[in-house]
Amino acid sequence: MDKMLKWIPQLRRKKGSYSLTIGWLYPDLMGTYGDRGNVLVLQKRCIWRNIRTEIVPITQETKASKLANLDLIFGGGAQDREQELVEKDLNRNKASAIRSLIERGAPALFVCGATQLMGMYYEPSEGKKIEGLGIFKIKTIHADANKKRLIGNIAVEVLHPEDIKGERVIGFENHGGRTFLEDGGLPFARVISGFGNNGEDATEGVIFNNAIGTYLHGPLLPKNPKIADNLIKKALELKYQKPISLEPLDDTLANLAKDAIVKRLKLN
Amino acid sequence: MINCILIWTGKLISFMISSFNLGTGATWPGHIALRINPLFIKQMISKSKLKIIIITGTNGKTTTASMLTHILYQNGYKVIQNSSGANLLNGIASTLIMSASIFGNLKGDYGIFEIDENVIPKALMQMNPDFLILLNLFRDQLDRYGEIWSIADRWNTAIKKLSDKTRVILNADDPQIAYLGITCQKQTAYFGLNEKHNHIEGEQYAADSLYCPPCGQKLDYHIQYFSHLGDYSCKVCGFKRPLLKIDQCFYPLVGAYNKYNTLAATSAALEMGLTESLIDKAIQSFTPVFGRQEVIDISGKRVQLFLAKNPTSFNESYETIKKLGANLLCISLNDRVHDAIDVSWIWDVDFEQITQFRHISLTGDRLYDMALRLKYEDCTDLTMYPNPRDAIDEALLNLNDEETLFILPTYTAMLDIREILTKKRIL
Repeated sequence: MDKMLKWIPQLRRKKGSYSLTIGWLYPDLMGTYGDRGNVLVLQKRCIWRNIRTEIVPITQETKASKLANLDLIFGGGAQDREQELVEKDLNRNKASAIRSLIERGAPALFVCGATQLMGMYYEPSEGKKIEGLGIFKIKTIHADANKKRLIGNIAVEVLHPEDIKGERVIGFENHGGRTFLEDGGLPFARVISGFGNNGEDATEGVIFNNAIGTYLHGPLLPKNPKIADNLIKKALELKYQKPISLEPLDDTLANLAKDAIVKRLKLN
Repeated sequence: MINCILIWTGKLISFMISSFNLGTGATWPGHIALRINPLFIKQMISKSKLKIIIITGTNGKTTTASMLTHILYQNGYKVIQNSSGANLLNGIASTLIMSASIFGNLKGDYGIFEIDENVIPKALMQMNPDFLILLNLFRDQLDRYGEIWSIADRWNTAIKKLSDKTRVILNADDPQIAYLGITCQKQTAYFGLNEKHNHIEGEQYAADSLYCPPCGQKLDYHIQYFSHLGDYSCKVCGFKRPLLKIDQCFYPLVGAYNKYNTLAATSAALEMGLTESLIDKAIQSFTPVFGRQEVIDISGKRVQLFLAKNPTSFNESYETIKKLGANLLCISLNDRVHDAIDVSWIWDVDFEQITQFRHISLTGDRLYDMALRLKYEDCTDLTMYPNPRDAIDEALLNLNDEETLFILPTYTAMLDIREILTKKRIL
């Protein structure tokens, strides 16, 4: 498994007083679409601030007991066939461990396929209904394989969590499934341009406690570093049980990259 | 008769487009012909004596098609070939229009068509190829195509419907492609690599189909050349790499990916009845096609283009230029329709040793995304040029004698840069 992480340069692990353990769900199965960039961003933004990080790949072979030590969780998108394998392993071996982490407030980011699996259920266009972990109060329906996929650049405005409310977020979406919030489900954001959860109700994503579920690839965190920092901050606060303020970093490039899309979507 | 009129009209449109400098007019005539007669391709092909070769796969189509054309041409055959930008049905139809005589006849021995992977099912309904070359399936352009598993399924259904004359030439090192060979019920010939050195160390990230096509278990790789290409077997169901009919030949281009392209072209030429020595002799004079390792000389300065259109092609081009001792690098990232409108994939590229280049310049519609990507590799010594012309001018100024400027562009960025470099309009 170490080989899987080869791409993360093993950098100067400076001594710092803080450390975080980041769990990465199924990097071998849920690795489509550059979503691993999110993990790289979390890791680098910690390293640049002298926060030590350990990335723990959670695979089919990982024992559920290992999940209890995680301070932050990330899960990305997957192709249908891989998603099936993940769903089986999650429900069989790891559902309760992940559920209890999220319930005690561990921050998490789930993108696309991972969000669907953390919801109540997923109804694919073919085959039988897939039970999710029920962490998010959402259901996802992929009624018709021929129905248009929701694809393109997307801009949203954060509704929850409160501390980054109003933040404009840019990403790229590509999903066939339509997700709907159920009673008690809170959206992550409001759609400004693009489709979001279902292309109908202008909601995007879902949150529960400190876990964010979203359809935004791009990947999400590089161009939206405030979300990355919010996840890191909350993870540290939960672990060290005190308020944390993170050292600011230079995000000029992120803003330039973001502005290019904002301009293209004619949002200025 | 209707087809004759379509051919005349098509030739006229194309003539007008090119004389008024509106582009090269590559696909419009075909587009119109197919709107009026949806069976245009089928009728034109079936009344001709052309032997048809169809080439598809995510990466390597253009190079393989050009190599095969070169081999056949060197051996005295007349070949009709579509250009790389015209690999949808309208492009094929346009190629036929431009190649046909005014009486509507196609003269030639072979028709070599590279076809976009998603168009294969439709194309196979129009043309029953004599040879079908399946190169590989990498994750690319998910936005248009959905997933590689489902593309393979659709190919399989389409291939099964072909007549028995079709011979399928397949890359045995790609599990998904090899499995198609087993299930498609046609005559097959497999090519692949048997090299003990040259494999990748560890697992490259951009690998997509490491799972056994028949049973879904993780495959065991005895050797992996790049991405998911290698020698593999499944300990659960026994699926393994099929026996190779050919595993070496003369390679005119650098890079492991070009070994596969050359093996594919050589393998097809062998199936057509050419001898090994004739093929080898022909291929030695092959020169790269535009944008694919093409060398362009700009008043004594050397520029080389390495198309980098998806994670696999980027990784392989990047590995190759490092081996060539590259010092100066220019990356151009676009996200237009032919680039699959998205740049998320750059986060799947392995930028090892990126900080060792002497100078890196970035350009393209999404240059800041690339800058941001490299920042997260701790590479911040970059120059950014919103205008590609400036990027190239500056990079050339920085170039010492004996040095080469290596450019890694996405597809449309390659067209732009080539246009700047050759001052000649090609799209």
